[in-house]
Amino acid sequence: MKQSTPSWKLLALAAVLPILVLVSISVSFENDSHPESFKRFGNAVLTSYVVMGIILIGNLFFYADSRHRPLAPLVGMIFALAVGLALSWALISNDDLLLEANSGLRAQLLSNVVHLLVSGTAMALASILAFGMTFAMITGRERRLLFEEE
Amino acid sequence: MFISYRLAEHSMNQMLEAAVWFWIPLCLIPLGMWFLVSGKAKNLGKVISILGLLLVLASSWTVPSSDSTAAGHLILSIIAPTLLLAYGVHGMIFGGNVPVGRLDPSARWSGLFAVLVSLVIFCLMHWYSFTPIWRDGQINPYWIVFWPTFLIFSTSMCCVASVGLVSYGDNRFNEAMKLAIISVVMAGIALSAMVFDGYLTTADQFRDYLWLSIADIFGTIVGITLAITAFAIVIWAYEKSLPLPENTAPPSEEEIKHVVSLAISHIGGEEE
Repeated sequence: MKQSTPSWKLLALAAVLPILVLVSISVSFENDSHPESFKRFGNAVLTSYVVMGIILIGNLFFYADSRHRPLAPLVGMIFALAVGLALSWALISNDDLLLEANSGLRAQLLSNVVHLLVSGTAMALASILAFGMTFAMITGRERRLLFEEE
Repeated sequence: MFISYRLAEHSMNQMLEAAVWFWIPLCLIPLGMWFLVSGKAKNLGKVISILGLLLVLASSWTVPSSDSTAAGHLILSIIAPTLLLAYGVHGMIFGGNVPVGRLDPSARWSGLFAVLVSLVIFCLMHWYSFTPIWRDGQINPYWIVFWPTFLIFSTSMCCVASVGLVSYGDNRFNEAMKLAIISVVMAGIALSAMVFDGYLTTADQFRDYLWLSIADIFGTIVGITLAITAFAIVIWAYEKSLPLPENTAPPSEEEIKHVVSLAISHIGGEEE
């Protein structure tokens, strides 16, 4: 159990390090700042929060089956979702804060959902490759004898 | 006045078409999955999900005026290499030492070949004429979103898998090295795209979208984590508010006899 804490830190470092290397190389090509990245980050946070919230509200119905259909968690989750939607509306409507190359609030919201669909597909495909290759490596090794027969 | 009314009506029709042919089918996919996962209407769930997916894939023909359907067009464009990748990964996993569902050992090699071909197809989609073309000979705007995100995330995930295998696995250094090599290959492809122009995109564009992809990946992870945290807090608060369950009465003699008889009837076997 003592090994688990440093291993998690190592895993986090392994996740971030290749990205940092690629970013460093990208920066070495040009010294331009990328202000649009902040907008993209903000939009991605809010959109994935809202979409994931909707999916989790759907899961609450199955949870409710084993709890005599309580309303409290549903109301709580709808409130959490409403906060996300209100924040999205406020930040996108506020001048140039989160509005990208779209005509208005509705276009930006729809664009965010489609963007999430595409980036989610890319991440899912990358996960299939990474996890698939990991399992392929694990199952690829010949079985080893644990004990020699006497 | 009449012209502006006609314009508004035309715009309304376009919105309605986009809703009917793209947005509603898109919503049908998770809805069908909910039915499928719940186990209450598995077949209906499958039908709804597949129907939704097919309509989303066909949306670039059914409602070409909508910009959102570029996403459906992109998914349709990448579906062949995606299926090839999934087939290859399946063959590589189940061609090895697995206790159930084991395939012929040659499936590992055919699987590896399929994975390599799928990655080559993705590369050709960037550097050769396989690039997904959207309206009027223009590149699909979401291709330049998909490609850097896929490369960065697979680089990162393969690196995590490699380190994880060394940290948690037992004598798995060789396998971890192979995963690290895959990670380096994916990083190499990303680096090449940063240096060499694609068929319809420039290296400058790729570098710009690299930043946006990183913002996308971190933003999506943060957003999903926040939603799951909110969900956990809601459930925790509700469960905490529930009264402690009352102790049930101990089983009666009759109930114990019934349980014992059931146990005896299920413990069989003849002595040697």
